[in-house]
Amino acid sequence: MDQLDATFTALADPTRRAIVTRLAQGDATVNELAAPFDMTLPGISKHLKVLERCGLISRTRHAQFRPCHLERQALDAAMSWIEENRRIWEQRFDKLDAHLRDIQRAPAPPETASQGPLSPEGRLPGKQLPHAERPSMGERNDP
Amino acid sequence: MSDQPPGVGELIYTRVFDAPRELVYRCMIEPEHLTHFWGPAGVSAPPESIKVDARPGGVFETVMVSDADGSQYPTRAVFVDVVEPERLVWTEPGTGMTTTSTFSDLDGGRTEVRIRQTNVPEAARSPEARAGFVTSLDRFAAYLAALANDV
Repeated sequence: MDQLDATFTALADPTRRAIVTRLAQGDATVNELAAPFDMTLPGISKHLKVLERCGLISRTRHAQFRPCHLERQALDAAMSWIEENRRIWEQRFDKLDAHLRDIQRAPAPPETASQGPLSPEGRLPGKQLPHAERPSMGERNDP
Repeated sequence: MSDQPPGVGELIYTRVFDAPRELVYRCMIEPEHLTHFWGPAGVSAPPESIKVDARPGGVFETVMVSDADGSQYPTRAVFVDVVEPERLVWTEPGTGMTTTSTFSDLDGGRTEVRIRQTNVPEAARSPEARAGFVTSLDRFAAYLAALANDV
């Protein structure tokens, strides 16, 4: 969870999210990353350090311009948590929707079970059942 | 409120249900209803393991059981705010994640449920960091997912 927390904290900043978005399209140098922002190179470097610390990006040590590289696994862990969470709520909503339909369609309690199916006198048979204690599903005996 | 840009809620899920607000609200706090929908697809939430004490400080506990292998996922939260039938707020002591459910009356006997989750895993504790979540992490995730498909 620590890794995930660190990733979320890193992604909490809009500039860092923009950097990650840029790097999702390919490696880039600090200069290239700084270009779209009204920010000094040291400012960008600070953000890069945060991203590097939580493992979201890596930087080549030997290359002259040390291009930044997005580490997909770290990002994917955070993104899949979000996706999983969204999926859970969507499926809960789907099930709740179905459940609400079910309970609103269910037969009314015995006293008010007036919408007799098919026949207008439909309420009589229900009342005549000897075991009318609990409403049974079998009341709808079509002739 | 107004000085915060919209969407401060880190993760927001909204759905409109064709049912009156009181009923939808009850579904969220009564085990005999929760058992029908609390587990996502392939996961059930047995009613006997659901505990709901809908008042500030009261518990909200469930055990979700995987249909496939029977593995169990207990959830434990504590109610922070309860306004029947408008709002439920609970927080998970384990992670600090707070979930606010808002129930709004719509015309035609419909109800909008809005789930807003803040403090997504421990993150965004500082106001500065919190402001960063404004554009909403889930949209960011969706955007990145789309990007990933293009690459």
